[in-house]
Parts: sequence; C-alpha cells; structure tokens
Amino acid sequence: MSNDFAQFQDAFFEEAAEHLAVVEEGLLELEQHPEDRDLLNKIFRSAHSIKGASGMFGFSAVAQFTHKMETLLDLLRNGQKVVTPQIADLLLKSTDCLKTLIDAAKTGASVDNETVQRLAAELAAASALNAPPAGQSADPAKAAAVMSIDHAHVYTIHWTPPEWLFQRGLDPLQIFKELGALGTLSEVKVDDSRLPDVADMDPERCYLSWSMRVRTGKDRQVVEAVFEFVREDSVLTIEEVRGEASGVKGEGHRSSAPPYASPLTSEGSEDEPKPLGEILVESGVVSREALDGALAQQKRVGEILIEQHAASPQQVEQALQKQRKMEAAAQSKKTDTASIRVDTDKIDKLINLVGELVITQSMLSDLGARFEMSQMPVLLERVAQLERNTREIQERVMSIRMLPIGTAFARFPRLVRDLSAKAGKKIQLVLSGEETELDKTVIESINDPLTHLVRNSADHGLEAPEERLDNNKPELGTIRLNAFHAGGSICITVEDDGRGLNRNKILAKAIKQGLISENDKLPDDQIWSLIFKPGFSTAEKITDISGRGVGMDVVKRNIETLGGTVSIKTTEGRGTVFTLKLPLTLAIIEGMTIRVGQETYIVPLLSILESIQPKAGMIKTVVEKGELINVRGTYLPVVRMYEVFSLQPEITDPTQAILLILETEGEQVAVMVDEILGQQQVVIKSMEQNFRKVEGIAGATILGDGTVGFILDVRGLLQIARQATQVAA
Amino acid sequence: MSKTALVVDDSRTMRQMVAFTLTNAGFTVIEAEDGKDAVSKVAAGTKLDIVVTDLNMPEMDGITLIKKLRQLTAYKFTPILMLTTESAMEKKKEGKEAGATGWIVKPFNPDVLLKTIAKVLPA
Repeated sequence: MSNDFAQFQDAFFEEAAEHLAVVEEGLLELEQHPEDRDLLNKIFRSAHSIKGASGMFGFSAVAQFTHKMETLLDLLRNGQKVVTPQIADLLLKSTDCLKTLIDAAKTGASVDNETVQRLAAELAAASALNAPPAGQSADPAKAAAVMSIDHAHVYTIHWTPPEWLFQRGLDPLQIFKELGALGTLSEVKVDDSRLPDVADMDPERCYLSWSMRVRTGKDRQVVEAVFEFVREDSVLTIEEVRGEASGVKGEGHRSSAPPYASPLTSEGSEDEPKPLGEILVESGVVSREALDGALAQQKRVGEILIEQHAASPQQVEQALQKQRKMEAAAQSKKTDTASIRVDTDKIDKLINLVGELVITQSMLSDLGARFEMSQMPVLLERVAQLERNTREIQERVMSIRMLPIGTAFARFPRLVRDLSAKAGKKIQLVLSGEETELDKTVIESINDPLTHLVRNSADHGLEAPEERLDNNKPELGTIRLNAFHAGGSICITVEDDGRGLNRNKILAKAIKQGLISENDKLPDDQIWSLIFKPGFSTAEKITDISGRGVGMDVVKRNIETLGGTVSIKTTEGRGTVFTLKLPLTLAIIEGMTIRVGQETYIVPLLSILESIQPKAGMIKTVVEKGELINVRGTYLPVVRMYEVFSLQPEITDPTQAILLILETEGEQVAVMVDEILGQQQVVIKSMEQNFRKVEGIAGATILGDGTVGFILDVRGLLQIARQATQVAA
Repeated sequence: MSKTALVVDDSRTMRQMVAFTLTNAGFTVIEAEDGKDAVSKVAAGTKLDIVVTDLNMPEMDGITLIKKLRQLTAYKFTPILMLTTESAMEKKKEGKEAGATGWIVKPFNPDVLLKTIAKVLPA
C-alpha cells in the first residue's frame, strides 16, 4: 500500500539530505555550545522528520537507526542527559552512518551492517534512560488485517464519554455510525441521569452516557478501535454475550468502505502480464522442464544476426558495449538526482519576463504585417526591446541554476574538525561569502578540488602547535574559505596562516624529478606552479590525510576542465592562498570566432594567450617534432587547423595567416587560422548528447547567421597534432 | 461542495504526501509548514472541515497550534488529527488535553489516513 507514496521518494531523499546537513551542522555547533536548547531542538526535529518520512517509504533500517539517534537527542534536549564530547562524537558518527543508510535506501547498495549495529548499540548505551516503547498493539489497521470474519459476536457496550468530548471535536454520532458499519447496532439507550438543570447546563459539555448492543463479525479489538480516540478518557465496558451468536454466521460483513473512496489502490506487480511460457506452464500445456529447455535454446538477437551475417561480431560487441554504457549512465543518474529547488520568486519574475516577450513579439508581428520603410525607427526600437527581453530572460534562466556556494562550503566545518583531531593540530575554519551564487554543476564539480585544497592546508600548510608557538604565532591555526564575484567569474580562495611554500624544497624536488634543470632560473610564480605537476609532493612523510603525491595535479586539471584557473600566493612563514577562478556557468562561454576556409570555429577566450602574424624565418621544421615557431625564444608546435580538420584553406603560408597562441594545462601551441572574426558569448551545445564525441571539438553552438559553429577543444587539438607528427615521423 | 483540510507539517515530503492523498480523495487542501504559518493561513476564519497536523515543528509546534485553533470560535469543534510517531505516544495525552480529536501514527498508508479522517469527519 505504501507504494502509493513511491512518487514522493525523490522528494524525500532531497529533503533528507537537507535535514542531514542541519543535523551535522547543528552537532558541530553544539560542540561549542553544548547548552543550546534551541539548537538541540532543531537537530531533534530534523532527525524526527527523517524518521517519520523514512517509515512512510518502508526504509525501516533508516527509521530504526534514526529512532535510536532521536531517543538520545530527546534526552539531551530535555536536559536528562548532558552533551559530552563523546556523545557529540557518537552522534556525528551516527549521522555519517545514517547518511550511508539513506544512500543505501536510494541506490539499493549494501551497508556495512556491523557498523550500523555497533553504533546502534552505542546509541542505546548512551541513552541510559532509554526504555523501548512496549509493543504498540493498538494499531487498528493491523488489528483489522488479522481479524476473522467467520465468527459473529454480540457485544453489549456501556459508554460514558468524558464531559469535554465536544471540545475535542468528537461527535458521539460518529461513533454510533462506525459501530453500525461494523454490523448491526441495536438497543441504543441513552442515560440522561447526569443531565443538570437547564440553568446549570454548559451546552458544550457532554452529560450523556449510552448503552447499546452490536452484532458483528469483527473481533473485540475492532470494536474497541472505534473508541480509539476516547477510550482512555471514557468509562467503557465491552462485554461479549455468549450463546447468542450462533446462527448469525455471515451477517457480519467486511469493514465498510470509507466515505472517501481511495483512488489510490495500488496496482500490484502481480497484475503485470505474465510471460507466455509461464501461462503455458500454468495451464498445463507444457511442463516446467520443457519450458526451461526451450528457453535454453532461445538465442539472443545478437547471435541470430551474426549467424545471418546481418552484422559482424565486432559490430554486435560494440552495440552491446554501448548498451552497457547506457545502462551504467542510467544507473549513475539514478544515484545523482538532477533536480533543483528554485525560489518561487525567481520563477514569478521569469514568467513576468516571458509575458513581456510575448507582448514584444506580437507588437513586432503587428508591425511586420503592414510594414513601410517610414516605420524603420519603430522597427529598430522594437528589435532593441526584443533584445533587452531576451537578455533578461537569459540572465534569469541562468540564475535558476545558480545556488549559493554555501552548500559546497557546508561540509568543511566537519572535515576540518576531523582533520584537526587526526593531525593533532588546533584549527579554526572561517567561512565567508557563502551567499555567492554560482552554477549548480560548477558547485558539484568543485567539491573535490576544494576538499583537496583544504586537506592540503590542514596537513601541509599549518604547522604543529609547538612549532607555531616557537614562531610566535597563535597556537590556533586558521583556514579561511572565501568566495566572491569578480567580473564574469567567481573566485574562491583557500587561505591558511601556516608555514607557506618552501621555495628551496620545491626546487630541489623538481630538479630531482627532472622537471627542471639546476640552471633554470624560474620566477616565483612558476616555482609555485610546479606543485601542480603530476606526482609532485614535498611532504617528508606520507600521512593519512595527504602527501601521496596525487591530488594537486588533479585539482588543477579539474579546475581547468571547468574553464577555470588556479593560482598561488605564498609568503614563507606567513601562509599560502590558493585562488580558484571559475566561470559562473558552464553553459555559456566567452569565445573568439575564427575562420578557416569556409568554416567558422570558436576558441574559448580563456585559452588564448595572444595572436601573432609570424615573419618568415620564425617557423622551422624539425625532424620528429614537425613545425615549430620561435616566439621570443621559446619554440612552440604549430598546428595547421586545415590539416587537422581536412579543410580547404584560403591561406597556406604561415606568414600570411594568423597564429593563435593557445595554452592548456601549462602547454602552449600555435594554431594557424585564416582570420579572426571577433569576440562573442556562445551557448555550448553538447556534441555527445546530440551526436557523438568528435576529437578536437568541445561542443557546438549556433552562430548569429544561424549556422553551426564548432567550439575547439584545445587539449584535444594538441593531442591530434602530436599524433600527426608521430605518424609523420 | 468539497471539504477543506488544513495540513500542517514542517517536513515537505510528509506534507505533500498527506496533501496528495487528501486532494485525491476530493478535499481542498491548505498546506502550512508550521503552526505559525497555519494560524496565519486561516486567520480570515476560512472554513475548515478537518485539520491534520504534525506535532514537532519550528516556530509553533502542533500542541500550541491545536490550543490556538480551539480558542477560535470557528474551529472550536473542528476535528483535529495529530500526526505522531510511536515513540511520541506520550504526546498523545498532551495533544488530547490541548483539544486534539485523534491521532494518526506515523508511518501510515493512505488508506489508514483516509479511514481515520472518515472516523472523525462530521457528516
């Protein structure tokens, strides 16, 4: 039956995640203010909501575990127990466990039962006053489900309701109706002996009591259940009259239909049409063995097609792989719901704007219907209006995808708390700019890089307390996370007041790894960016937290995939600041349109360093390396766009063409194009979703004249160029 | 004329589920996210046939809400059902004293919800 609510499951998971965040944040805050009742109440309510709703969906593991947490929280908020660090810790661990349980309920994954049991036991132990509620047998639904209908009973009932019956919105008439629905109600007698004189009578009080007789097929429990809401406050006797019930078999009927017929009756899975084989077996036409045998002989579509030479085994294998991929994608989609909650305000404004757009459109079509040249200024004005509408709608729609970055920051207090405990350092985390909004996908993608940077600061950046005291610094180290808008980008800084980067250590390590030579004179900036090289870590010992030499390069790569940059500022002994600069959204990029032959391409503006028109002699061909260009002493590979995409160019002489110097992941490349057309914002349309992945192309967009333009994937282009020279060599 | 129900719960999912069930059963549903919200939504004396409220809520809890409603002439005799979990059965007593008509134990299925409402709904 509870399947009827299945459509609310996604909503539940979303809400549960919010409640979990409240619980976790609350618990962390509680460590600072263990006496805060309001806070405890808030935590309790969230846990309570999770429990209540999870029960509705039959996630009993979640409900039971949350119940244990709730019991302890209840004792805490009532002051029967005091918040100790142990209890706070236990509750935090339990929150993690609860998170896993909820995830498991969502994805159907298995859970580490041992941990759940252990924590549940610890929770129970911590709730010393914990007395599990004794079996609640008063569930009328359950009672009704197990009743027998074959035995008719006759009950005599005496009922004296509480005087305040009416004040609770109860009506004795309802009770009689319900009893009547159970079977036959007879001999209803009212006792008005307690009725006072009219002068003394309070019309809102109930002075009456009743006696009656019910003949029904239901059990006593069902009859008692009718009085469910008043039984405890009434004088109620229900006696079964023996010997009268015989011969009335069948008179009692099934519980009457509720006045409000439920349209929600579940269509059980049994109703699904059965496979043919099953039906044949059931009707006795074939035996189970014969069916199994036949099924074993049944071939898969792929095999049949191969036999008939309609497809090659490779093609079928490819198709199968594709199918598996799609299945995997569907699976991962299931685990990562792509819903977003939007302020109704934002939607209202949007609807308003769409209204304006419609008006502009109708004004334009009106104008178009009987246009004369004299109306040109009016037309231009209307078009300008249209442009304004469009831009505003674009901005609003984008803002729907915008979430405050606080959602990404929220996990860090916990992380830092755990890190400081693990590393034996005292660390405080200061968050600011949480309200800064950015695209949901960007927020999701920066979680990992940010986590890594914070871990890095806690582990490498900040010194041990003794070392800090020796250096006249406060014992308490500080990590600051800040977010702010800067132009069309958002900047996120991770700052620590630790020891800073050690120039000599990094240089020594880089030389040892052969990343640079001993004679290289590098400016500071370039030295710091060495730590983003794969496999680079100067940590002397590998700790649990970081120092495995993987990570910083991944951080950089992730940020660059998002079209962003990472920069470092550091002062030895004073601390380090990592600044992530990200685009506000992934859907729109600032691009430079270029032309090669008849084709137009868009190059992401962020990757363009400069554009040059080379002089003769700047370009040399080197064996095994292909064409290189000398740009102020540095040799960069030259990629002729028309060669990569097999186009008919207008210009084949580099000195007549334009070379764009592009940078990606620290590598530079010179790309030869015919002409630069201009700069514009373009909306990225995915190639994979609409067509398939094309090497060297990051996506497509629709240009002003309605044609499709491709957006270059600089990294892919570089790879193609490299392969080409290898083949040539 | 359809009956009107006031559904009060701070849990969005719970509230939507109750509202959904009632809407499908032909009720006009007014949703409120806590007691305070509920009081403000019926301040104009909106006709209510049934109130279904959670107990644990921020701003104003269910018990206070029940007391407030009972103080208003319009809702003096309106059936009020409280949504409670088994562990909070002691709340039942407190709710009754505040004037609650009955209760529904969470978790429940739509049928139980509708049956319980039918039990207290004036004809």
